[in-house]
Amino acid sequence: MRRVAFLLFTLLLLSGGQARAQQKSVPPPAPAGETPVLATPTPAAPQNPVPAPAVATRPNGKIQKSLVRITATEVEPDYKAPWNSGGIQRGVGAGFVIEGNRIMTNAHVVSNSRYLTVERDGDPNKYPATVLFVAHDCDLALLKVASPDFFKNMVPLSFGGIPELESVVSAYGYPLGGDRMSVTTGIVSRIDFQLYTHSSIDSHLTVQISAQINPGNSGGPVMQNAKVVGVAFQGYSGDVAQGVAYMIPTPVIHRFLEDIKDGHYDKYVDLGIVYTKLQNPAQRHFLGLKDDDLGVLVGTVIAAGPSAKAVQEGDVLLSIDDHPIASDATVELEGERVDMPEVVERKFKGDVVKLEILRDKKEVTVNIQLGSVWPYMYLAHGYDVRPRYVLYGGLLFQPLSLDLIDAYQPTDLRIRHYYDYFVNEQIYLEHPEVIILTNILPDPSNTYLGAYRTSIVDEINGQKIRTLNDLAKAFSQKADRFVVRMIGDGPPLVLDPKEVESARERIKTRYNVVSEQNLDEAPAKRLPNDQDKG
Amino acid sequence: MRAFRYHAALVAALLLPLGTITAAKKEPGPATVVKPKEFSLVRVNVTGQPYDYVRPWQKRAPFSKRALGTVLSQGRVLVTADLVANQNYVELERAESGEKSAANVVVVDYEANLALLEPTEKKFLDGLTPLQLALDTVVGDRLAAWQLESTGALVVTEGLVTTIQMTRYPADLAQFLTYRISISMQYRDNSYTVPLVKNNKLAGLLLRFDSRTQVLDAIPAPIIAHFLKDAETQHYRGFPSAGFGFFPTRDPQLRSFAGQTGKAAGVYVTSVEPNMPAAKAGMQVGDIVVAVGNNEIDQNGNYVDPLYGKIEFTNLITARAYPGDTMPIQIQRAGKPMQLNLALDHRDAKDYVIPPYNIDQPPLYYVLGGMIFQELSRQYLREWGANWQKDAPQRFVYKDRFQSELYPEGNRRVIVLTQVLPANATIGYDDLAYLTVTKVNGKEIKSLADLAEAVKQPLAGFIKIETEEDPKQIELEAAQVESEAAALQQNYGLPSLQRLE
Repeated sequence: MRRVAFLLFTLLLLSGGQARAQQKSVPPPAPAGETPVLATPTPAAPQNPVPAPAVATRPNGKIQKSLVRITATEVEPDYKAPWNSGGIQRGVGAGFVIEGNRIMTNAHVVSNSRYLTVERDGDPNKYPATVLFVAHDCDLALLKVASPDFFKNMVPLSFGGIPELESVVSAYGYPLGGDRMSVTTGIVSRIDFQLYTHSSIDSHLTVQISAQINPGNSGGPVMQNAKVVGVAFQGYSGDVAQGVAYMIPTPVIHRFLEDIKDGHYDKYVDLGIVYTKLQNPAQRHFLGLKDDDLGVLVGTVIAAGPSAKAVQEGDVLLSIDDHPIASDATVELEGERVDMPEVVERKFKGDVVKLEILRDKKEVTVNIQLGSVWPYMYLAHGYDVRPRYVLYGGLLFQPLSLDLIDAYQPTDLRIRHYYDYFVNEQIYLEHPEVIILTNILPDPSNTYLGAYRTSIVDEINGQKIRTLNDLAKAFSQKADRFVVRMIGDGPPLVLDPKEVESARERIKTRYNVVSEQNLDEAPAKRLPNDQDKG
Repeated sequence: MRAFRYHAALVAALLLPLGTITAAKKEPGPATVVKPKEFSLVRVNVTGQPYDYVRPWQKRAPFSKRALGTVLSQGRVLVTADLVANQNYVELERAESGEKSAANVVVVDYEANLALLEPTEKKFLDGLTPLQLALDTVVGDRLAAWQLESTGALVVTEGLVTTIQMTRYPADLAQFLTYRISISMQYRDNSYTVPLVKNNKLAGLLLRFDSRTQVLDAIPAPIIAHFLKDAETQHYRGFPSAGFGFFPTRDPQLRSFAGQTGKAAGVYVTSVEPNMPAAKAGMQVGDIVVAVGNNEIDQNGNYVDPLYGKIEFTNLITARAYPGDTMPIQIQRAGKPMQLNLALDHRDAKDYVIPPYNIDQPPLYYVLGGMIFQELSRQYLREWGANWQKDAPQRFVYKDRFQSELYPEGNRRVIVLTQVLPANATIGYDDLAYLTVTKVNGKEIKSLADLAEAVKQPLAGFIKIETEEDPKQIELEAAQVESEAAALQQNYGLPSLQRLE
């Protein structure tokens, strides 16, 4: 239920008030292990089973010369026992060589990876690889290989445009593992904005294709006329929909390649506003709009976003960078009608966007320097970060995040509310991190405290707890006792530091706690810089 | 020791043939042929028709329930309130003759789940002996569930009272005393309200039964007695409540923080509801309640009842006291003993910001150009079914759960836009739903009447509705709403565009 609410909320934000049906698309996870899952290999199909008279036998050339098989060993963080290093698993994905001796793949193929190897056709060696850049918000990554031998005789692929609807495309990869390249073909079915499930909060342009894509296809090129027109990245599980697969189209890829030119990935930028379509004639008249079908209405302006000082609730956005905004929240861009965010999508951190606004029936123009909206980070999946936590007296305190929710599946109404409305009700202003007492490792010193589980920390000894660091600092101070106030009605949790101290070693030993806290990873608002890899 | 004795009694009981159990208790055994009229039962046939809170202008399709009623003195029949909830028509039926009479609901209490019926024909119950109450049931007693065969013959099933404790009744407002009985009862066509009998006296009424575990919860006779005593007064008031939340003080750190000295006892006050008896008597969060009346409260909130042993102190307030009674409560505040005198009162469902139930009452609504505005109520949320707490709009479930925190001032309603019927006036608004109204035409909205009043004063011809959630504002043209009202009403078959009381 929480996820439904959240997905609807996200789509609402990004598509201008039109809540779409819940989409259960999942990124194809790379299969564990390297052996093919299919028990009985079906006989090889004849070459080119699709009758395509106008198409040559290998329209895209010898892709084996460009395709890369990636094996990633990943460590999955353990949010329930965050001091553990986590489960180790291995997956297989695809990638392809692009100019500059780089390998492009999906972010989810290499996320949380501790060791990466790449293989190429006709070469028995496995080459260690490292992540050059990873962009979790658009599910793309670039790898490099130290050994110069790897790229010898490899052919870098170049990029095409957005393929036409109904045109044929071919997808290459290693579906369900396997050592040999697999090709599937299909047509372009739809070009639309879609949720990128890797982060689970970002929506970008996506091309839906009818080619079969399965786990192991992830990161592989989708080709047309010997050019890459997309990177295969997500689909539905078979019980939801079949013949529906998605690729990341080249505008998104180009943006990623452009963003990293300065040596680090700055992420997508956002206006940080919620807006709705202005299709009701009475509402348009009330706001002083003409019958010209232009304008969208601004609702919540996110205080932590770049528009906070320039845009107000109740403003009508008339144009963005001189592109008139239609009342259904679309703009014309290069002869095509696209959703208004597309204008912002093409921008980079620090770029300026010009907005013409009707405010109290008067036109004003504002320039907004774009950036990312950090509170959204808590709503997204985190990767390549170790869970932050503090264990004090056997009480485990952790900041609220999507990964925390996935791990604990809390049913607590307050926790779900704080997650669902963290950004839109600007809960982050008071609690940039929502600190939850997630678990208690039972010990004589905390045996009466079970009822406090799943409550949210508000204050310790009168000090507001805004972040996990605040909490760690509060517990490190000298005091006769710690009075922990929780949000809502409920008794305070009272701790005697002397008792906690005497229980420390006992709890650490009994529960095999390697470390009592991890504050290392900066709070999410500084995560953008930390995620750059170079 | 006590437990052992009960155990022995149980073994003895099991060894005896069913018919002679009462004999084992030195009571005269029942006659071999049981005649229902001697046992004061009538059939009750109810046609009910609940209001539809999703389409608040209409009622749902009618349904029928068949139950047993227990004949009490003064020509009244006791049933559960559940049975007569949203009733259109109630009929009593003599089990042995099939003779029928219409009946009225005289008193109903949905929180205690009890109702009193009265036949319209005064002599209808003649010849049936009223059942007296057995108030002395304790753990280990055997109670007989009485049901009727279709022939009118009595079916008796015996069960063992395993626990007596405080549980939540269906209205989910307060804890009430409950007998838990282990019984292998089978459903009959009249199983809705089943009397539980001890020595030919009414000991309880079926509250709920789980046929899988064969566990039956019963509304106990002391609660029934409380209900009947109150029902004799001019205006039925209901069960009192004190209006504070509490937490055990088992944790020594919490006790020491609260300044408690001396022996470990009492409960920590976590919340004090505004305008309720505890608040009026000056109770504060952080007080430790150590005694209620003359009864000492232990760290878990239990007192020692002469009949039941340890049981939660709320029983002293709900079952042992009446609205208007003064209940002395001993507290410790920062270690200092104090006495608070609570003038107990009943809290009506309508006194909540988000009412916990609205049975028998038509839902209020206001249709404006196709937008449906309603009062947020738990009755509305319950329309999402048994799992409403998970399935209903989560924002509203959150508001309901934390209403006293979110609306501490009380004395208001939360007005929500529940859905939009597409119409000319609402083009572009079709997808709006589950929004909380804050203002209309600049005026704060704290009731549906506020909304209806504010709508009459448009801003330069426009009705402006402001919402807590995005889109934050919605406008309609007042003249257009007015001129299209009749067409809207006809198009969607709405009997009326508003119900404000």
